[in-house]
Amino acid sequence: MEEVKEEGEEMDVNDCGGGGLEVVRVLVVDDSPVDRKIVEMLLRRSEGIFDVVSVDSGKKAMEVLGLNEIEAKPPNHDDQKIDIVLTDYCMPEMTGLDLLKAVKANSSSRSIPVVMMSSENDSERISSCRAIGAEDFILKPLQVKDVQRLRTYTVPIGPMSKRGSKRKLPMALIAESNGAEARPLLAKVAAFGSAVFLTLNFWRSSVMSSSCN
Amino acid sequence: MELGSLQRRYIDFTSALFREGFLDNQYTQLQQLQDESNPEFVLEVVTLFFEDSEKLLDELSRTLDQQVVDYKKVDAHVHQLKGSSASIGAQRVKNVCMAFRNCCEERNQEGCLRCLQQVRQEYFLVKSKLETLFRLEKQILAAGGSVPVLW
Repeated sequence: MEEVKEEGEEMDVNDCGGGGLEVVRVLVVDDSPVDRKIVEMLLRRSEGIFDVVSVDSGKKAMEVLGLNEIEAKPPNHDDQKIDIVLTDYCMPEMTGLDLLKAVKANSSSRSIPVVMMSSENDSERISSCRAIGAEDFILKPLQVKDVQRLRTYTVPIGPMSKRGSKRKLPMALIAESNGAEARPLLAKVAAFGSAVFLTLNFWRSSVMSSSCN
Repeated sequence: MELGSLQRRYIDFTSALFREGFLDNQYTQLQQLQDESNPEFVLEVVTLFFEDSEKLLDELSRTLDQQVVDYKKVDAHVHQLKGSSASIGAQRVKNVCMAFRNCCEERNQEGCLRCLQQVRQEYFLVKSKLETLFRLEKQILAAGGSVPVLW
């Protein structure tokens, strides 16, 4: 299991994945050691795009994100810079839904995309996660194509923000027609195409600009 | 046993595992993730599955043995076992877990105990099959050959 990286360990700003694209740091949260190992490998095999930090609980995820204090400290140079959270829905004590709520409730982490994973294709569950701000809801077991599209949730357009200083212009959304009935959120986004993507990223840029002030 | 025979045996054995439903396509996905930089990935994941499953099976026995059964706890454990078995492609274990969850929902203790027995049986069967598979792989590599790729 990938250990949580040490505090103060920084990503090389020139660290580029395959094809010159910048590395995306993913926080994987899953209480299942089997699933954690598989997701880590899926991410690592994605042409060097992802840097993986993984933890086995929502509580540890909060620590990595700097949200484990009553008053969350503002992001600083030494914090783990997480670009996206990929969390299991069903976990003991703190569920993925609890984690999603905590991330979205906090101004210092609100802009971090959160993608949910679950073995249950439950439409109510999907809707409630979406309503709180989850980017996507992926059915387990994850496949290669599921992790490849994670990158599309992390790239802002327009001027570089403080957090986004290593990011480039967005890739096109990859339209998913296969298994869309099991991934209704993605089917909707694909249908709206680039207009939705641009709107979402404009909103994200606005939130990130205000949260950095 | 000579290399050719080992490889043929491996192919036949693996094909049977898929044909008989012990493994499904998810196991193939794991094999496809394995490469030279992680040559033991499948073995590592399956070993984690064995450790995790046996803990869960012990917990299930303990929980179902109580005077007053906590079905929420039973369901949580079965859910986890179903998830990890699906993740490695242990299809028959996963299928029994699905039936097990129905018994939990019905709060049917007798049904749950029957399901526990079945899931144990299926788990130890697939464990034995996978151990044989890994032994064959090891023998093939020791004989200087390469493990046949069936995808």
